[in-house]
Amino acid sequence: MIGIFSYLIFFATTASILAIAVLGLNLQWGNTGLFNGGVVAFFGAGAYATLILGGTAQAGHLGGFGLFYPLALLGGMAAAGLMAWIVGLLTLRLRHDYLAIATFGVAVAFENLMRNAEWLAGGAKGVRGFERPLRAALGDGFAYNLLFFAGVLLILIATYLFLERLVASPFGRLLRAIREDEAAAASLGKSPSKVRLTAFVTGSVILGLAGGLYGTFYAFVSPQDVLPTLTFQIWAMLIVGGAGNNRGAIFGAFLIWGAWTLSGWALSRFAPVDVQLYTGSFQFILIGSVIVGMLMWRPQGLLPERLVVSQRGKPQSTQQGE
Amino acid sequence: MSIVRTMGATVGLAFGISALAGAAHAQDCTTKIGAVLPTSVDWGRPIAETAQFAVDQVNAAGGAAGCQIEMVLRDTQVDPKVGVDAAKALVDLEGVNVLLGAVSSGVSMPILTSVTVPSGVLQMSCCSSSTAFTGLATEGKTGGLWFRTFATTGVQSAVGAKVAADQGYKSVAILYKNDDWGQDMARLIAADFAAVGVDVTASVAINDAQPNYRAEVTDALTSQPEALYLALYPAEGTAAVREWLSLGGTQNMILANSLKSDEFRDNVGMQYLGSALGTDTASPRSESADAFRAAYQERFASEPNGPGLANSYDAAMIALLAMEAAGKDASGADVAAAIARVTDPDGTAVSADTAGFVAAKEVLASGGNVMFQGATGNVRFDANGDVSAPAVIWSFSDEGTEEVEFMSLNDVDAFMASLK
Amino acid sequence: MIQHLLDGVLTGSYLSLGAIGLTLVMHILRFANFSHAELLSLGAYAALVCDALVSGLAPFLTVKLAPLSLTGALIIAILISMVLTGLSALIIDRLVFKRVRERGQELSMVFASFGMALIIRNVIGLIFGLSPTLYSRDIAFAVILSRDPLILVKPDQVFVLIAALALMFILHLILSRTTFGYSLRAVAENPSLAQVNGVNLQRTIMAVWLIGGGLAAVAGVFYGISHQLIPVMGRDLVLPIFAATIVGGIGSVYGAVLGGFIVGVAANMALVVLPSGYTPSVPFLLILLVLMIRPHGLFGEARA
Repeated sequence: MIGIFSYLIFFATTASILAIAVLGLNLQWGNTGLFNGGVVAFFGAGAYATLILGGTAQAGHLGGFGLFYPLALLGGMAAAGLMAWIVGLLTLRLRHDYLAIATFGVAVAFENLMRNAEWLAGGAKGVRGFERPLRAALGDGFAYNLLFFAGVLLILIATYLFLERLVASPFGRLLRAIREDEAAAASLGKSPSKVRLTAFVTGSVILGLAGGLYGTFYAFVSPQDVLPTLTFQIWAMLIVGGAGNNRGAIFGAFLIWGAWTLSGWALSRFAPVDVQLYTGSFQFILIGSVIVGMLMWRPQGLLPERLVVSQRGKPQSTQQGE
Repeated sequence: MSIVRTMGATVGLAFGISALAGAAHAQDCTTKIGAVLPTSVDWGRPIAETAQFAVDQVNAAGGAAGCQIEMVLRDTQVDPKVGVDAAKALVDLEGVNVLLGAVSSGVSMPILTSVTVPSGVLQMSCCSSSTAFTGLATEGKTGGLWFRTFATTGVQSAVGAKVAADQGYKSVAILYKNDDWGQDMARLIAADFAAVGVDVTASVAINDAQPNYRAEVTDALTSQPEALYLALYPAEGTAAVREWLSLGGTQNMILANSLKSDEFRDNVGMQYLGSALGTDTASPRSESADAFRAAYQERFASEPNGPGLANSYDAAMIALLAMEAAGKDASGADVAAAIARVTDPDGTAVSADTAGFVAAKEVLASGGNVMFQGATGNVRFDANGDVSAPAVIWSFSDEGTEEVEFMSLNDVDAFMASLK
Repeated sequence: MIQHLLDGVLTGSYLSLGAIGLTLVMHILRFANFSHAELLSLGAYAALVCDALVSGLAPFLTVKLAPLSLTGALIIAILISMVLTGLSALIIDRLVFKRVRERGQELSMVFASFGMALIIRNVIGLIFGLSPTLYSRDIAFAVILSRDPLILVKPDQVFVLIAALALMFILHLILSRTTFGYSLRAVAENPSLAQVNGVNLQRTIMAVWLIGGGLAAVAGVFYGISHQLIPVMGRDLVLPIFAATIVGGIGSVYGAVLGGFIVGVAANMALVVLPSGYTPSVPFLLILLVLMIRPHGLFGEARA
């Protein structure tokens, strides 16, 4: 019984971290219409920077600054934001598929750099030597995981509330205006490119926050953590959950991560012994089927964006954020 | 099978009431061990198959610590978070206290730091080669729960350099897999080649998941080496070597043990592999050394050739021997502590098969220690959970592979010292 | 250098064939189809099976057409595989994409296609095993064109290039000379207007899948002949093919052809510019550069 509870806490921690990332992407895609194909680069920048800034000294690569943890995490967010600012300046005038492939390229280049530049982040071996905050006080048993989960959950809720407010604010309306009709927004004297860049950087800082928490949770990050699979996973969570809806984004994260892990557990538990070796492939087929099935069943996502008519005053969808 | 069971029972009888009770009990209890391996990847599936093979042999010997063993297998998808979650589920939901895996260092490491060490579970990896584990262990952060049967890359590279020197190659080009293992190999082998006076004309990284390696091969080819050194896995190794040969590259090749694979031999073609020499860690010279090979052939109708197969077998076998030594209801730490008892250089030698396990039970029950003569050699762990082993130089043959030269642990150590 | 350039052009030939189908689908059905590269795997493995069948039925076809490693049986297998793959694409559209398309947005389609890619790839892996397979285990040796600088070419690859160019030329004729070609272009320009003018939209969509699937099958087999077959080949090829499509400009068949060659050359020249570990980034950095100058690709047009 304790086992189940302990596992569920662990599962919920990972899912919550991913949910924070999905929220960041939702600001970019759901609210602003920016097709970020390089999610993993900003997530990774957060993870790497947090561990490098907060870790103990390591031979052979940058690191060992041993910063106070919240500062290291802020540094991770800043690194993601800085990267987003540069990438945004270069690419945000591109539209849809073109933006997607350009940002995807950034993510591939990021992974390549982390894999090859041993002086920077240990190369393929990755970055270790990170002490999880408060570990000395709590040990690293169940109590630690429980507290870590509580922390992540708080950050998730704070991010959610922040985004709900942001979306309901005039700035949020501006984002949707630009998403729907850029020329009209521009004709009202707004600067679409500046607004888009702001949204892109803000979303990426949130992705960096998720990455930082992820790196903290595992006390380790390597190029294997920043492969395109993660971009796909986070996107699938958003699309299945419902783009444009923050609760949908969180729901999608738990649902897809649940499907991803539960399929493996179910196969290991119920598949006959002779097919156990093939369950890896079966699991991928199951995951693919869940995603395809969800999208056939509810193509607009489980909790779709609620259309808001701004003239009526306060948008209904954001009441709980007030 | 039944003969082995009977043997197991006989052994139990010979060792008094308590052992007998254990053997009788073996019929109605099951202990689960966990395995997190990349079964959805070409080279991962056989590794899992071999681990299961070791478990089956142990069950044929009446199980370990009085119970039959069930290996619960989960796929890592080579994705760290998937692997970590799977490991956590095995520990929390299945209650395992012995975990085999993972293969990639990037997956094994977060499992170690966030699952097995906090939960006090023994983790035994067949194939994670990163030096980061040694670093972690020296800092005392593995809690003595981490082991790997993958001999440090130093042995491989030193023997590779010896091959080049013995063959009289003046210059060699290197193709290496661009992961932590390959990067280590490339760096070590370049230093070792330099130490024996062999020129490295080019050292080219082969990245995963690229549609073709034509450019990389051309790069190595235009540096005009006398021989080619390959630290690759079979899939990209096949692609690169076929490309290399078709462009008229030399057939003088030195192969890391990851290419000791039937798939690689068949897809490249025996006619081109006549002057290819491989390196590997080896079993000791003893009667029982071929036990693993023979049993494997009987089960799979092929030689145990492929990256990590022998290591995976040893990882599973040593973990199970340690479970036997630690006794029923032992914790992960108890099992980890018992590993020294089953890899004791002064212990009774036991072979790598069912009969060996039966014999080991006998010795352990009487309080003795055993020395497991594994598929990769006389496996012996140091304080950091790393192993060293004798080495062998091999070549491909029509049946599989054959041994060209054997180097004892002392020979290997002496040669490595001469390189410094 | 010249060798890398030449290799790049040869690599480009199968990337182009893959990109043509993708660009048509992206243009007419308006979604980035991530399962398109799986059609290459599907075609390649279908040809593997057909090759074995044809060779069994008509052993005289197994003779190699020197200097190529190609056999008559494989050529017949390619033709059958083109049809099979085209039909598979059509069936997948009917079963999955059509339903999502009718109710969902563009992005729902993209992720449905991603899910389909996972399914197809792993079904192939279950059936054929995860290890590489070859059409022929014999190694086709390269011919030396020049010794200084050393330039080598494999006869198979020359055949692949010529056959790819021939297919592209036939497609060009179809698009520019037939009524069908006109209706296809009309739908691409403006689906509603085309329908008003009596173009059957459903039939055009079917044709796009058949053409895209057929070309993908050829591309897959050509990739298999040049390198090897492996269930994850779709995963490895999807990005270069997307890159080719985007760089050429979505919707432009000629752009896709050119894009394929550009990406092929860039991937092969990468080693000249950067250390070998960084080669996977090079095609993408090139795309970034192209898009800086031309935000809709080389031949693409802005579209609302």
